[in-house]
Amino acid sequence: MPDPRQGENNCYLQVQDLKKTFMDRKRKVEAIKGISFSVAQGEMVGFLGPNGAGKTTTIKSILGLVRPDSGRITVDGIDCAKNPGEAAKRMSAVLEGARNTYWRLTVWENMQFFAGIHGVSASKERAYFEYLLEVLGLQDKRNAEVRNLSSGYKQKTAVACALVKKTPLVFLDEPTLGLDVEASYELRAALKDLQSQEKRTIVVSSHDMKVIQDVCNRAIIISGGRIVADENIQELLSLFRTRNYRITVSRNGNMRYAESLPEEIYKLFPQADIRETHETIEIVVDFTNPFEIYELIETLRTSGVSIESISQEQVDLEKAFLEIVRREKGICG
Amino acid sequence: MWLTAFKATWRQTFQLTTRYLFNFVSAIITMVLVFLFMFYGVKGLGAGALDLGETLEGLFTGYIVWMIVLIGYQDLAYDAANQAQTGTLEQLYLSPLGYKWLALFTQSLNTVLNLALVCLTTAIMVLTTGQKLHLKVLSILPVFLGVYIQASGLGLALAGLALIFKRIQSFFQVVTFGVIGLFMIPWSRYPWAKYLPFTMGQHLLREVMMKGMKITRVHGTHLAVFGVVTVACFVAGLALFSLAEKKAKSSGLLGQY
Repeated sequence: MPDPRQGENNCYLQVQDLKKTFMDRKRKVEAIKGISFSVAQGEMVGFLGPNGAGKTTTIKSILGLVRPDSGRITVDGIDCAKNPGEAAKRMSAVLEGARNTYWRLTVWENMQFFAGIHGVSASKERAYFEYLLEVLGLQDKRNAEVRNLSSGYKQKTAVACALVKKTPLVFLDEPTLGLDVEASYELRAALKDLQSQEKRTIVVSSHDMKVIQDVCNRAIIISGGRIVADENIQELLSLFRTRNYRITVSRNGNMRYAESLPEEIYKLFPQADIRETHETIEIVVDFTNPFEIYELIETLRTSGVSIESISQEQVDLEKAFLEIVRREKGICG
Repeated sequence: MWLTAFKATWRQTFQLTTRYLFNFVSAIITMVLVFLFMFYGVKGLGAGALDLGETLEGLFTGYIVWMIVLIGYQDLAYDAANQAQTGTLEQLYLSPLGYKWLALFTQSLNTVLNLALVCLTTAIMVLTTGQKLHLKVLSILPVFLGVYIQASGLGLALAGLALIFKRIQSFFQVVTFGVIGLFMIPWSRYPWAKYLPFTMGQHLLREVMMKGMKITRVHGTHLAVFGVVTVACFVAGLALFSLAEKKAKSSGLLGQY
């Protein structure tokens, strides 16, 4: 039998110019407007976007649950449209908003079933089943019917059922949705652990930026059916790192010089925000270039006040995401 | 892959049947009770002029075929509707074999379970009414299976509709009673009726179970019609399901419930 893999490059997943339009009553809705990206083997990628951005449609198109209008998807070099069965052998998923498991079956029975329909025998892979139960903290729940479990354990069961198929590519669509802080933390820890052990290619879609920032190396941000950013997370954060500083100075009882200080600062930095108390002066300023901070410090030194603290505002993925999406909406709208 | 998937679906179907055992038992009780009401009702009227009720024998075989049809199509159709509504359908579609094959694997176990259910129900019907039946297993089984396959074709077509429209259980009820209508069409006045699904099955079952005829002694043309209708029903059901599946994927309906 010929190998269906075309060996184009070393990308495990490749999506090229994917487009999908749905009909909502008699109105056409462009869910995806030509999305292209690729994911290397062993990479853990975050898929971010506001509601209705096209994340789930993209994931379902890759999984063969939605038929795209145009574009090309390859998994391990296999064209998903031409060889859907071969491509399906390499993919598994936890889908957003769906039950994903049979609530009347136990955790173990669900794992057995979902592995089985992917051609993985529970008797041959028993050790791996046990390993997954351990990593996900499900050992004590193995014989419990899923309907009797908490949301956290239900979600972990769904993740176990996806991972037990041993597919090289895994999609986790909103894996922490509806979980409390502890359950979300446990699941993230388990995912990181599994990723470091198994080096699978994992695509995580989530509204929770902390999840993506915590478990992924790279983020693809999608808005309005288009990719608006595709960067390594650290690089993405550095792009949005501001020069916004908060400096607190003590008057040191030197009211004479300190009284004229705000005026001097406003002359140099009109954008500054200054709050005064009897003891201290707090200056918040966004510098336009990195050398301006020296100018400010020199002004403070000559005015005779002492610097109590200097802090730089930290940027996280949530802020970067909001900035990108707002910019994109501003451009498009 | 195929064997592992087959074993997994059989195990899961069996596990779910045992979890919903009350449903299985209540199906038998309902089937028997409905039959008894009809049997004594027709008997009380002195057997009317309908083809179904021309004789009590007609009612008997008609009811057995109706039972097979009902459970044969309902398992497939309700399964698709239920899985779509509970959100497990998409997971089945992620299997390299796709939902269609998994549903047919499940249906193959359901055939065994359901034919056992029909036999048990028929035995209770015989015991409660005193009706004599010829139980030539080798002659009865092919007719049972043929009717079940025809019903599976209908089930596939309705499962396809369920993928698109989701909540169509009320339409399933219409189909259930529509099947009774098929048995009531008199062949003497409408000869084409013998080419319709299930009608030849009922005729053959009457020949075998009531008249004690061996299947090999049945009119060759009737057997041929039964065979062709069986294959046609199944192929048409499969084709309609595939079309509906295509439409559901194109409109992104698989995951909506």
